[in-house]
Amino acid sequence: MAWAVSVSTARAEPLRVQGSTTVNPIVTEALEILARENGLDFRIDTLGGSAGGIRAAGSGTADVGMASKWPNEWDRQTAATVDLHTTVIGMDAVALVVSADVWEAGIRSLSREDIRRIYENPGLRWSEFGGPDRRIVFFNKESGRGTWSVFAEWVYGTTDNAPPVSHPEVGANEEVRTKVSRTRGAISQLSASWVDGEAVFALGIGDESGEVIHPDADSLARGRYPLSRPLILVTDGKPTGAAAELTQFLLGPCGQDLVRKHGYLGLEEAGL
Amino acid sequence: MPQSIPIQDSPPWAILTAARLRRLRDPWAIFAGGMLILIGALFLSAATAVLWQSLPVWRHAGTDFIMNAEWFYRRELFGAAAMIYGSAAVSAIALLVAVPLGVLAAICLSEYLPARLRWSVKVLVESLAAVPSVVYGLLGVLVLREWVGVAFEPFGAWTGDTLLTAGLLLALMVLPLVVTLSDDALQAAGVNEREAARGLGLTRAEAILHAALPQAWPGIVAASLLALGRALGETIAVFLVVGRMDSQLPERIFSGTPLVEPGQTLTSKLGGPETHLAMGNALHWGAIMGLCAVLFAMTSLCVLAARALQTRWRDGK
Repeated sequence: MAWAVSVSTARAEPLRVQGSTTVNPIVTEALEILARENGLDFRIDTLGGSAGGIRAAGSGTADVGMASKWPNEWDRQTAATVDLHTTVIGMDAVALVVSADVWEAGIRSLSREDIRRIYENPGLRWSEFGGPDRRIVFFNKESGRGTWSVFAEWVYGTTDNAPPVSHPEVGANEEVRTKVSRTRGAISQLSASWVDGEAVFALGIGDESGEVIHPDADSLARGRYPLSRPLILVTDGKPTGAAAELTQFLLGPCGQDLVRKHGYLGLEEAGL
Repeated sequence: MPQSIPIQDSPPWAILTAARLRRLRDPWAIFAGGMLILIGALFLSAATAVLWQSLPVWRHAGTDFIMNAEWFYRRELFGAAAMIYGSAAVSAIALLVAVPLGVLAAICLSEYLPARLRWSVKVLVESLAAVPSVVYGLLGVLVLREWVGVAFEPFGAWTGDTLLTAGLLLALMVLPLVVTLSDDALQAAGVNEREAARGLGLTRAEAILHAALPQAWPGIVAASLLALGRALGETIAVFLVVGRMDSQLPERIFSGTPLVEPGQTLTSKLGGPETHLAMGNALHWGAIMGLCAVLFAMTSLCVLAARALQTRWRDGK
């Protein structure tokens, strides 16, 4: 989806922003506020998603790139002549949440392989994973949602590799929390900012070495929790001028409220 | 009682009698006729648009679209059979529960209650029929969902979001409709036959059973078919409690177990987010429009059947 918004003001050059559809709603709202209050002129679009945003910032076709992933080697090589500077404005983390009965029965973590088996084989029982002899009720997040994409990319590499499965489906975060908390044996994917440890409980992820990583502030900050992605702004060198105005706003209390309003973790919750 | 005109026995053009043609000069007739043509045109263009936009999926899947149960848009699998089954199952449950209860309530209302009480109860029932479906849906989430999940666990239920939950909720929603229309049908049944039956020494119950009910029967069937149409088309209440699980077509269609499992209906799919995702992709959008066409055909059949029965009832009297 590509779209552009421009607001004309007295300044000569509009700030060009491009990239991720995940970050776009936050930045657009921030830019609209800055346009109203400081007369900032801007142009924003989502051509090419995160990769497109990083490339545009590297090649100078955009002043700020938006991305929901860290620039990888390939990104850095294509932008070798510039100094790619990243500013993290928030985190998007997906927790695997279970109902109280599962949690209390001692299920505290699952590995990626466990999750894959549960996802592909409806009707498995918790007893196979050391829990009670009760059917696993997997509430699958609607497959058009960002939360589902993070999950599918983690388990299958890309969303296109995810196999057709048949689970009851859930939509908004409120619905996930209600249904998981009120169904015995339930598990689902839920945006980490919605985990409360009272109605629903977040499982840790066991990695290959057997170590368990929980979606807490510490592992998020160190980039160790696998079901997460940063929300970042990419610039050529330290942001200056209008780009600095934007990053400063997003790092400030108003901008952080915007990040939370759109359902993501602010820097404080993410331990950054 | 007005005599019905035996249209069937005369050629179709016999309706163009001189008297009727004269009436065409009446400005009201012209206005009404214009309205009729406008409504007809709107209806036809809507139906054509739905069918036209669904063409890509018929080309892609052919009859598999209604015969196949697998639906996964990311792999371009578009089979609506599980949703057709879901819609039929929840509506069937709704009717099986609502019709016997509704008819019994209507008999009580029409035959036993004193006139003034009957009137108040009737107003109450008709206002229940007007409660917005989202209210019923939330009640379903709060009460029915929990109850089904616990009560039907011994029968294989593993969550409260099931086809059965949706069916019971629909039964509750169409019950007022069945009660009030069946009551109307009983009231319209001839007083003479009833009095003759009582005069012959039949008890009140026997008079209802042998004189009133046989006459009211076609009206009750028509009421049930209208209720079926409403149940098939209901979206939000079903969406909230049916579980929205795709591709679940049971091996044995008439066994009970699949009913206590989650499922998907045509309307719960159409009310979901896929409708928004599908825009811009001709095939996916075609599949969504295909679901609309199937649903449209199913509800139209119900309304047509209800109409046909009513006509037969009136002519047969």
